[in-house]
Amino acid sequence: MTRAELSAKALPPGGPDGAGAARGAGGHGTALHRAARRLRVNPVAMASLLLLALIVALCLSAPLYARYVAHTDPFPSNLAGTTIVGGKRVPVIQATQGTGLGETPVGPTWDPRHYLLGADSQGRDVAARLLYGGRTSLAIGASSAIICCTIATILALASGFLGGVADAGLSRLMDIVWAFPVFLLAILISTVSLTQGLHLGPLSISTTGMGLPIVIISLIYVPYVFRPIRGQVLAIREKEFVKAAILQGASSRWLLFSEILPNVLASVIVFVPLMVAITILTESGLSFLGIGVQPPGASWGTIFADGESLIYTRPWVAIAPGIMITLTVISLNLLGDAVRDALDPRALDSGRQR
Amino acid sequence: MPSFIARRLLWTALTLFVISVMVFVIFFSIPGIDPVVALAGRNPAPATVAAIRSTFGLNLPLPEQYLLMMKHIFLTRDLVSYTTGLRVLPQVTAAAPVTLSLVGGAVVIWVTVSLMAGLVAGVNRGRPADRILMIVGMVAISTPVFWLGSMANLITQGGLHHTVFGWVPPPGYVSPASDPLLWVRQMVIPWLVLAFGFIGIYSRVLRASIIEIQEEDYVRTARAKGLTEPRVLARHVMRLSLIPFVSLLGLDFGSLVGGVVLVEVVFGLPGLGMLAFQAASGLDLPVIMVTVIYGAFFIVLSNMVVDIAYAWLDPRIRRK
Amino acid sequence: MRPIAKRGRAAAIISSAAVLAAACSSSGTHTAATTGHYGGTMTIVTQSNPGTVDPAINYGTGWFELNVTNDGLTAYRKVAGAAGTQLVPDLATALPAPTDGGLTYTFHVRHGIRYSNGTVLKPSDFVHAFERMFAVHGPTTGTFYSTIQGAKACLAKPATCNLSQGIVADDSTYTLTFHLASPDPEFLDQLALPFADAVPPSAPMKDVGTAALPGTGPYKWAQYTPNGEIKLVRNPYFKVWSPAAQPAGYPDTIIVKLGVPMESEVTEVENGQADWVASTTGLPSDRLNQISTQYPAQTHVNLATAIYYMALNTRVPPFNNLQARQALNYAVNRNALVKLFGGPKLAAPSCQILPPNFPGYSQYCPYTANPAPHGHGPWTGPDMAKAQQLVTASGTKGESVTIVNPSFPLGQSTGLYFEGVLKQLGYKASLKLLAPAVQDPYAKDSRHRVQISMSVWYQDYQAASDFLNILTGCGSFQQGSGSQPNISEFCDPTIQKLMNQALALETTNQNGANSLWAQVDQQVTNQAPMVVMFNPAVVDFVAKRIGHYEYNPQWGFLVDQAWVQ
Repeated sequence: MTRAELSAKALPPGGPDGAGAARGAGGHGTALHRAARRLRVNPVAMASLLLLALIVALCLSAPLYARYVAHTDPFPSNLAGTTIVGGKRVPVIQATQGTGLGETPVGPTWDPRHYLLGADSQGRDVAARLLYGGRTSLAIGASSAIICCTIATILALASGFLGGVADAGLSRLMDIVWAFPVFLLAILISTVSLTQGLHLGPLSISTTGMGLPIVIISLIYVPYVFRPIRGQVLAIREKEFVKAAILQGASSRWLLFSEILPNVLASVIVFVPLMVAITILTESGLSFLGIGVQPPGASWGTIFADGESLIYTRPWVAIAPGIMITLTVISLNLLGDAVRDALDPRALDSGRQR
Repeated sequence: MPSFIARRLLWTALTLFVISVMVFVIFFSIPGIDPVVALAGRNPAPATVAAIRSTFGLNLPLPEQYLLMMKHIFLTRDLVSYTTGLRVLPQVTAAAPVTLSLVGGAVVIWVTVSLMAGLVAGVNRGRPADRILMIVGMVAISTPVFWLGSMANLITQGGLHHTVFGWVPPPGYVSPASDPLLWVRQMVIPWLVLAFGFIGIYSRVLRASIIEIQEEDYVRTARAKGLTEPRVLARHVMRLSLIPFVSLLGLDFGSLVGGVVLVEVVFGLPGLGMLAFQAASGLDLPVIMVTVIYGAFFIVLSNMVVDIAYAWLDPRIRRK
Repeated sequence: MRPIAKRGRAAAIISSAAVLAAACSSSGTHTAATTGHYGGTMTIVTQSNPGTVDPAINYGTGWFELNVTNDGLTAYRKVAGAAGTQLVPDLATALPAPTDGGLTYTFHVRHGIRYSNGTVLKPSDFVHAFERMFAVHGPTTGTFYSTIQGAKACLAKPATCNLSQGIVADDSTYTLTFHLASPDPEFLDQLALPFADAVPPSAPMKDVGTAALPGTGPYKWAQYTPNGEIKLVRNPYFKVWSPAAQPAGYPDTIIVKLGVPMESEVTEVENGQADWVASTTGLPSDRLNQISTQYPAQTHVNLATAIYYMALNTRVPPFNNLQARQALNYAVNRNALVKLFGGPKLAAPSCQILPPNFPGYSQYCPYTANPAPHGHGPWTGPDMAKAQQLVTASGTKGESVTIVNPSFPLGQSTGLYFEGVLKQLGYKASLKLLAPAVQDPYAKDSRHRVQISMSVWYQDYQAASDFLNILTGCGSFQQGSGSQPNISEFCDPTIQKLMNQALALETTNQNGANSLWAQVDQQVTNQAPMVVMFNPAVVDFVAKRIGHYEYNPQWGFLVDQAWVQ
């Protein structure tokens, strides 16, 4: 059993074991309805959804926070700036005592109007950057996950549906790419494309902004999603009712859109929150290494990288983004679990409590 | 079986070939990339640059350069780095044990802990013990590993260094042969940090398997026959539940042996991950190539081993 | 994430400690006061690796080791302070004056000197050493040693290099004569660098890598394991022949631990487990605070003869316009940049190419608010009004500018700062960060038309031409090369003529040459091919037990002259 099959265990069974609540025309709509209803009554699912919504709302409010609460622009350097701490006006970057080597940014004031979490080594407001960084990290995470799952699904459908040489070739190719140590591949492509941006024929992606991380992170995880989905497609193709339908003369297009796709969709839906978690972690790892989001752009990973050089004097610059990442990923994982359980008919059919 | 292994070995060779070509292509897709620049030193004369270029074969067409590099790696084994001018293979053989120390110790810890945690959770499904363990596991999977390592450093090297964590040495690595006690003291925190996330994953996998196997007919039969619960667990449930656990372990170990970039960078361990990352930043193609081939080899090898073991262990599959 | 900068050592005086230091070490003889200090093991920690330790190839990363294991014909006086920039004879008995209009240098080589493998040093060893230098493609063969007769042919065909016409050795009279094809007033300085050190005739004609060659210095290589350790022990065949050039070292053994993470380097010295942090990238900024407050007596700060600057491409808009270049120079707040580097103790603002305490230096800064008469004064503050005026007058306002900087923290922070200033001046500015290994050749290659990029330059040896002629000389610019040093692509024929004059004058009148170089410095600065930001300082953090810390302007901390007991 390959890792694909192992991770397929995370998917709702569409195979011979499943009760096939999604089977049959007209059954699909109600199946998703039932899943949604199960989700609604699951307290853990609702709580994680709430947490996620809260984080997203907080991060989307970054411009408001920066302008109206903190009165700061967290992107350009602010080396000569001053702020108010304990009623007194102090410089944001302060000289050290003793022999005066090095400069230290102001620490957390716990006052949202004046550098809540302190300043980084550029004199920028860490709290404001944290929110903007969240926007970037969430956007990259969500986009990469959706793009990755879309590409992988299309390829898996094509592969599983066409079968034969195309299937063999495509799966072999995916196996080979997946054998490339995935983080090293990301590092290599990032380093290389950061010199000139990525130029794929007419499409050109610049090195600033989110385009490059999104493209790179989506591509490297395609094999990971491809395999279980392809497994699903193959499994469904083998099912009795499908074979029966073919014997009855059903067209392949009908088969694809009314039988295979809806079932596969359920699996893909389960994958999305899990992939968002993975892509957020990957993006922050790459940004930490300096090859993800580029300055002056903020992401939780770059803020953490800034914090590393201040770790012993101003630890909060490194602590805060990690907490945000952890909370976001926890809520995504819980949500992912809940979605999978909701789409798994066995949960309620046997009347067992969870 | 022999033909199966032969086929897989051929497949391994093909995979490594494609991957090495991928590295080559990616590297040379940088417009204007010229490795001579690093080799030639500061402000060299054009004649020196030209001479170095021809000595290293950098003016040959790419396919020839590729073959030349493969020759230096596998046949003459004297491949030279673009940044230091020193031999690459000794660098890699020096870095490999560091990664192995890190991964080996972490594996021992996470396997032990997740076996216990997964078992307890799986058996006590729905009850408080299960819930607590799953919450901890959830946090474990969600915490970014580099952040966790950094926080560990903050605690052990920062304020508490002189009191509670005085036994933790500054970041670095000594080989266990020269100073085993220092080696352990250095590796404990990295081990725990690396193991933490995997404990979360593996305890969940084991728990899920146990729950699924518990529902199987033959387990119910065993219970109906009157076998005690521990007996059921030991003889019937565990053996099959461990199959996905062990296969996943094989795959993960295979991919970790090639280098754990984030943990090595955070803890300053001079392993393969750190080497690969520095090589990538320095555009040191020879080192990148060797580390990627090494890592890919172990991934493919572990896939093969797991597939063979799986076919051997699981009678259901063997029959297919 | 962490850059690898190849640094030369550099320096300058900070206080009159230099006088004391000179008195202490210049004799190098064993006195009652100093005998007790001989012995012990010095442990050095470093994050990097020196790479190959072949003296013909290593360009700075292994020089503090090579300087105690090898010798050349000449050397810089091994003392602290300004005296440390004087050339003295080392393996030669005296510094010859060139004859034949500067084309011939005749050296008398010392008798009775042995390498660490027992072989006796002979003049013909130098012929072999130089031919070897070309055969292994030494990085400076074309720049420093190509004036030797036959060198051009060696550059073209290194494998069959024959310098017997250019370097004539007589092993019976122990003379060594160099015949140059054209005068090179800095030849004696160039002979003081490790590239030109003596090696035994058994040295192979290929890069030795980690198998260090035997040398004539007070120490010899016992071990070199990359990412592991270097161990230098006393050379049993060494006897002091010139205390000024190569005194006996104090420690018995020198150990260099390689690949130690930055944070650990500092911790080990704090704990007394190591004696010195040999850092190529500076100490971690979050520890500077701790070092300043808790270990001030163990921290030594010396201004380096180096500049950090932003090169402005003089052949590509908008900086092909003189007023635009000058405007940026006026607009920049050098104090803010100093802050980014670590504060006023770690860097000194500068407007000009030459660094302080360097031959030809005369303080000059026209790009400041309230400049001194004729600009002969320090930088005091930016003049944004004047800058805006110049930008408007230049007609380049609104043009797009992309800053190409290395991605390590300093590159990021200065890049962001300049982006802000350019925007203030009305340009459409953006920042592009590249991995350091990519950024350097990328910015230097004229084909990429990089408009503004960050760079740093440390001296090779003590000569103004090493800055001015290399960074802004017409001859040093090459089209389409990722290794050429004239990033600004600057070439002014009038100024070049003055540079050539100054170079020629060095042979006969060093002081006269220095004033000419000062003029060159001013004229080049007026043309603003770069925005010079500051001169960095070198911070040496040593262990408590270290005594007799000596900082040489050319080489830096003299490790073998320090006391460990």
